[in-house]
Amino acid sequence: MKNIIEVKNLTKKYKELKAVDDLSFEVHEGEILGLLGPNGSGKSTTINCLLSLLNYSNGSIKIFGKEMKPDSYDLKSKIGVVFQEVSVFDELTVYENIDYFCGLYISDKETKKKYIEDAISLVGLEDFKKFYPKKLSGGLLRRLNIACGIAHKPKLIFLDEPTVAVDPQSRNNILDGIKKLRDDGATIVYTTHYMEEVEILCDRVIILDKGKILAAGTTDELKELAKIEEKISIEVNDLETKYIDKIKELKNVDDVKYNGNILLITYKKGKNNLVEIMEYLKENRIKYNKIFSERPTLNDVFLELTGKELRD
Amino acid sequence: MFIHNFKYSLKTLFRNKALIFWTFAFPIILGTFFNMAFSNIESSEKLDIINIAIIKNDDFNNNEIFKTAFEELSDKNNDDRLFETRYTTEEEAKKLLEDEEIVGYMKLVNDEPKLTFTTSGINETIFKYVSEEIAQTSNIIKNLSEEEIKKEMIAGNYNIDYESIYNNVIELTEEDDVRLNNVSNSNLGYTMIEFYTLIAMACLYGGILGAVAINQNLANMTNQGKRVSVSPTSKGKIILSSVLASYITQLVGVALLFLYTIFVLKVDYGNKLGLDIALAMAGSLAGLSLGVAVATTIKSNDNVKTGIIIAITMLGCFLSGMMGITMKYIIDKNIPIINKLNPASMITDGFYSLYYYDTLDRYIFDIGSLLIFAFVLIAISYISLRRQKYDSI
Repeated sequence: MKNIIEVKNLTKKYKELKAVDDLSFEVHEGEILGLLGPNGSGKSTTINCLLSLLNYSNGSIKIFGKEMKPDSYDLKSKIGVVFQEVSVFDELTVYENIDYFCGLYISDKETKKKYIEDAISLVGLEDFKKFYPKKLSGGLLRRLNIACGIAHKPKLIFLDEPTVAVDPQSRNNILDGIKKLRDDGATIVYTTHYMEEVEILCDRVIILDKGKILAAGTTDELKELAKIEEKISIEVNDLETKYIDKIKELKNVDDVKYNGNILLITYKKGKNNLVEIMEYLKENRIKYNKIFSERPTLNDVFLELTGKELRD
Repeated sequence: MFIHNFKYSLKTLFRNKALIFWTFAFPIILGTFFNMAFSNIESSEKLDIINIAIIKNDDFNNNEIFKTAFEELSDKNNDDRLFETRYTTEEEAKKLLEDEEIVGYMKLVNDEPKLTFTTSGINETIFKYVSEEIAQTSNIIKNLSEEEIKKEMIAGNYNIDYESIYNNVIELTEEDDVRLNNVSNSNLGYTMIEFYTLIAMACLYGGILGAVAINQNLANMTNQGKRVSVSPTSKGKIILSSVLASYITQLVGVALLFLYTIFVLKVDYGNKLGLDIALAMAGSLAGLSLGVAVATTIKSNDNVKTGIIIAITMLGCFLSGMMGITMKYIIDKNIPIINKLNPASMITDGFYSLYYYDTLDRYIFDIGSLLIFAFVLIAISYISLRRQKYDSI
């Protein structure tokens, strides 16, 4: 598989602090690679180094097989970037903003016009072309931010937390748009701290913390890293401690927590855990309201690897 | 790409309400206030002829330059005469001043004019300014004469031709901008001085536009700058087109101010309007370069940078006489280097020289100073702008 990005031993220091610590990875053509990590884990710094915006202390970066430098205009013409912060001009309308940024890449007027319309359609801003950014809601503004970054139909797209502070409807719209970009042939690097988005979107995931790669692989491969296989949460009132201790002794149970009225049981391995715990509750005449069973998430993997939650 | 970026830079600048206020509206509003405030002062204080007295002591009698200058400035046959001069003793002068028959009197002591007033106003300032100018010229002529005599003596010529030396010195002083006759070419107008500083302010406010042009294109300054920086357009092309758009926007602002003051406030800039415009263009370039330099060398947000540019501009205009010509006079007399480095002073001085002097020497010097000022700041900015990557953004 062709590598679109090759990063070797990338290190970026801010004085003594290593924001990116000896990072090496590749991005394959046509995939969506997720960079998952909590705030301050080095995701945006890595992207800024890849884009040659930031100096880095060590390492090499190749994009489309060539070394990436600030004046690599041939490479830059194939790249689109959606920054975490909304990067548009308040004085320009939605259409003008897209036209301006697209015009920095595309000089042919007819092509540019078509591309702008495609971008507007992709993010669903058809009814807001003449609106100024200040008149747009947070979600619509994020969509405009994306349109400005991808209107020139780049082959490689960096999306740096594009759904931060976005309402669910806009988020779904944005995620659908990103899938469409991938389907149209773009390679995408997607940074986020929302594990749900990574699970929906990404073909491969790199988990970052403190500038280091903790784990990399497909979501299924990563979930294998978690020691637990199942989590069962039960809504139960006034559970006595003796029952909690008894549940801990059940087969395959790794840990039991009882917070508020939620009993959370994690299982190492095994099948039919749900049936067994329900039988136990019935035998001991413990009443419960709701019961859920779920597979481990990337957050569990992160917890396993770092001892903290992704959103800590 | 150049035209594309230029077009959109113009759009963003013209639609930025805060920028338009500071660069277009504020100078016009201030000009209107000046006109309302100072036209009354001028009409109440304006005197075609200023009554003064000069103490006729030995120092004055022996100083041909002072004698000639005041005779000419008080000559009833001179249409541009400034003074009605009485030559008196000190006691008589004091009495005349007490009786308010004169605005002040001058006593020459060791070729230095000592002036006495009881009040301060535009007439007193004019008297003081003219006296200082004459003293300055007198010193220059004295020094030049001494040098000429020294040269002759070093060359072994002890049979000195004083008439030839006198002619040489006069020739030298005419090359400079010290000719006294020109001081009286026009009557000083208090409002005019205010309008010169107002135009200087409008020119320097262009710095705000320059700062915006830089900020919106640098990755370490704004989010838009980050996006522009990752595009395949060269930084030089982007910045040059944005700065050009800023300069044109600024010139539109200054042109509007000129038109407003000429046609609405009826300000008379004399018959050298073309040269006035050229000076305003050079001043605007200096203002723009100030903004570019602030934007590139200071890493802070737009508001802080705008504040710095406004503060520098207002201080510069204040020192060059916006709140009263006396300030310019004080600075010129005590710390002349400040006004030599102050772009507002360079601009106002250029306007004075066009209005009051026949020759263009001083005007050309002022325009040259402004261009050097702009060049130095742009050179400083260029060093900072050459950076392609940043340590942090």
